[in-house]
Amino acid sequence: MITLTADIVRSTNKKLTMPTLTIDNQTITVPEGKTILEAAEALGIVVPHFCYHKDLGAVGSCRMCAVTVHTGPMPGLKMACLIPVEEGMVVTTGDDASATFRERVGEWLMLNHPHDCPVCDEGGECQLQEMTISSGHGIRRYKGDKGTYTNQDLGPYVAQEMNRCIQCYRCARTYKDYCGGRDFGVMGSRNRVFFGRFKDGMLESDFSGNLVDVCPTGVFTDRTFRFKSRSWDLEQADSVCPHCAVGCATIPGGRLRELQRVCSGDNPQVNASFICDRGRFGSGYASHPERPRQARHKDQNISVEDALTLLESQIRTAVQQHGPEAVLLLGSDRASLETNWLLQRTAKHFGCRVPVLNAHARRHQTAQIAAFDFSDRLASLEDVRNSDLVLVFGVDPLAEAPLLALALRQMVRKQGRVLLYDPRPVELPCEFDHQAFSPAGLQELLENGGVEGRHLRDLLGQAQRPVIVAGADLLGPLGLQSLHAWASGASNAERSCQVYPVLAGANSFGTALLSLPEQDDLLTRLESGKVKALICVETDPLLEAPHGERFSAALAQVDNLVVMDYLPTPLSTNAGLFIPTCPPVEDSGTFINNEGRLRRFRQVIKPGLSLARTGAGEHPSREFTLITPGGDPLPAALVLQRLIRQEQELSELHRHLAEDQPRLKELPTITPGAPGKRVKPAVTRPQKTDKLPEQPAGTFQLVVSPARYGSDLFSRFAAKLAPRLTSTRLYLHPDDLFERGLKDGEKAVVETDFGSFRLTVASRPGMAAGCALVENNGDCPQLIPGAGLSYCHIAPGGADE
Amino acid sequence: MTSIESQTTSHLLDQQTLAEFIQHAGEIEHPREMIIDVLRAIQSHHGWVPDEGVELTASILGLTPIEVEEIATFYDKIFRRPVGRFVIHLCDSVCCWVRGADEIAAYLKKVLDIEFGQTTADGLFTLLPSCCLGCCGIAPAVMIRQEFFGPLTPEKVDELITSLRKEALA
Repeated sequence: MITLTADIVRSTNKKLTMPTLTIDNQTITVPEGKTILEAAEALGIVVPHFCYHKDLGAVGSCRMCAVTVHTGPMPGLKMACLIPVEEGMVVTTGDDASATFRERVGEWLMLNHPHDCPVCDEGGECQLQEMTISSGHGIRRYKGDKGTYTNQDLGPYVAQEMNRCIQCYRCARTYKDYCGGRDFGVMGSRNRVFFGRFKDGMLESDFSGNLVDVCPTGVFTDRTFRFKSRSWDLEQADSVCPHCAVGCATIPGGRLRELQRVCSGDNPQVNASFICDRGRFGSGYASHPERPRQARHKDQNISVEDALTLLESQIRTAVQQHGPEAVLLLGSDRASLETNWLLQRTAKHFGCRVPVLNAHARRHQTAQIAAFDFSDRLASLEDVRNSDLVLVFGVDPLAEAPLLALALRQMVRKQGRVLLYDPRPVELPCEFDHQAFSPAGLQELLENGGVEGRHLRDLLGQAQRPVIVAGADLLGPLGLQSLHAWASGASNAERSCQVYPVLAGANSFGTALLSLPEQDDLLTRLESGKVKALICVETDPLLEAPHGERFSAALAQVDNLVVMDYLPTPLSTNAGLFIPTCPPVEDSGTFINNEGRLRRFRQVIKPGLSLARTGAGEHPSREFTLITPGGDPLPAALVLQRLIRQEQELSELHRHLAEDQPRLKELPTITPGAPGKRVKPAVTRPQKTDKLPEQPAGTFQLVVSPARYGSDLFSRFAAKLAPRLTSTRLYLHPDDLFERGLKDGEKAVVETDFGSFRLTVASRPGMAAGCALVENNGDCPQLIPGAGLSYCHIAPGGADE
Repeated sequence: MTSIESQTTSHLLDQQTLAEFIQHAGEIEHPREMIIDVLRAIQSHHGWVPDEGVELTASILGLTPIEVEEIATFYDKIFRRPVGRFVIHLCDSVCCWVRGADEIAAYLKKVLDIEFGQTTADGLFTLLPSCCLGCCGIAPAVMIRQEFFGPLTPEKVDELITSLRKEALA
């Protein structure tokens, strides 16, 4: 007998009953409310189905999951996806009645489906193929013509082939119901039903790519992957999306040394079975044409081994001559936990001072508050989906953590309520209350609160499963600490008020967890003048941290700039010594996401120039050699291990890491593809926070937000995302625009602490007054989000030349 | 999405009806429920609902065009293509069928010289099959401009067509 445990047991008063039923002579006990289909699945019995989907629920429209129920007042043929289990129920799935019924349904679903499997991109992973075969249907009896449709052009990401449609409605339920998209729907009636847009054009939802994953047949396929590979030829592995700090499960697929597509993985605690388009179509960075693949010393190409020998002697000489301060190792929130930890070990090995693990000092500090102060009350996205009240402070979910937006939509669909406080004109795919507070206003609300704050804290106290979403970039250490007080105040003996912090990088939490508090930041250490060699591992402070000009100036005093990276950043190009490393898809490692969840990823492809490039469209070269072109890059963790001459298996490394960091005790037990476990809670550490600067007269509060596409470096180097990029504008509230005598579309000069920029102004009624909003992307790389509250002057910028 | 305020005139609706719809949409909780009313108003003013009609409805009700199109394409009494002046909805449900609807269909096609879904060359008649019209008592029946005619025989069809032709000339 098998027992399926309840994944969510939330009702406190009502006791959950566990009915026992028999399916095909096997007994199983499942929680009340589960369906026959779920119980059968738990027994390993496959009941064919199309319209039922784990995260979309059951609608009973495809009629494929028929089984026979032998007990109860109404025995007979039932749809397994709709019937809740009952005590003593007896079900058969293979009896003549249900088997024949399913065969007929299979036959009927195939009436209009074309036999184009040999040229269909879904071939090899087609649920219709599998279910038709499992239904037993084989001989076509219907002599009529098949229906045909005219396809629509749905843009560069999703290809449509409507003739293959079997009307299961999964696409509409995903796009409209789950993701909240409003430009896709179902038209017509009966056998003319058509799933598409009102007119041709790119699907507007930031989650449009999920159509590809949910369509059980080849109606919606990944256009960027069309005709590239058969699914069975792909190298695939369980991975983690590196684009933001949510840490969604992904399954990238590569072939011929090219990362060709990314599919959604399944993590019930994080992304369920959906991902955003930034993660799905933003994979081009791995095969970027300018990706540096060769170790280089000044202008000379050298081997990685020689580079390592050189680096070792450089470090030893610097430490010997100038002391432990002379070598500064810099980690990164896009580098794996292993790499960052090995940096600390490397420092110890050579006797240098502890590394700085994040060039962006303020982001690092806020991440530390998340990783320490909040560690006993961190919410998962599943907690957000099941919450009844979410207060969001300083987050634009679609830009900073897209799957959070989807989680909020799911809780709103379950009658939950979202209140959002942010200076930006935030959009969400669900109903929510938005109060446009300026950054300073937000800090005041969180610190003193006043009437509004008291009201919000009351709401939190009354809610059954409250969650606070805290934007680290906008709120900074001060705001996060205020929210910590809010969360403690709203918790009681029965339940805790949880917090979902929104951090910046895939491994922000990990780097914060590894770091010591009260550590000097990168600029302080560089500007001390003591640093002779700077070793940047998978980071470019010019693009990933504010005050680029101070960094550049300090760099002039450094004798040796060493860069290890896989992106063609300016720093990679200017490094004195460069060692090529591997992005997460070419490496195995761990990220820790927003909620402190250890997420393992496994190597998908090996580094190397893709055959598409070495062959230049023709048959690749017929020279036979063991050397892979462009195959020099090594995972950064391996580079560091070779540098300190301690190469270890990953499992061995994890054991040492877990010993060194007791909070990571679970690390050795986590496998790729598994939901992953939380890090152990920590004690709160004292944090010093800076006072907010006073606002000079006539200035605006500067709000730098990541753009939805092109802010994280991965998507900036992903060509496929180009159609979604927007150009940088200076957004102002219409009243401010009017007051300054500016008009939509005119140029203005904005003077900030980070430089002066001439931008086109645009009016945004939904944003906070008194703020100047600029989005960070490839157009405007100098303004980095999360730099703290600062002010700017705005003056008319004159006409274009 | 066009904002509700931006639309004040349209060749698809008279100005007063448009203003009333806009006002009413602002007063009710779910303007979505007015989709059919607006589409029908456009249809009676313009004869059928062109793409701009769907977009106009969407902008009045604060919806996206596809949200209107889903409804517009579901109902066979909303015309998304031009139709003749008289649309003949011939019932093809069971009562009419047992009382000879097939023969009436064949006769209508012969005298009008069109198939189902087509419009006569003079633009007068469009012939459409319809699900049950709810007037089984006068089967076989047709509906023209919300008016029912039946029980039909070839002679009665001739009469009907002649009188409609006469009306068109008047």
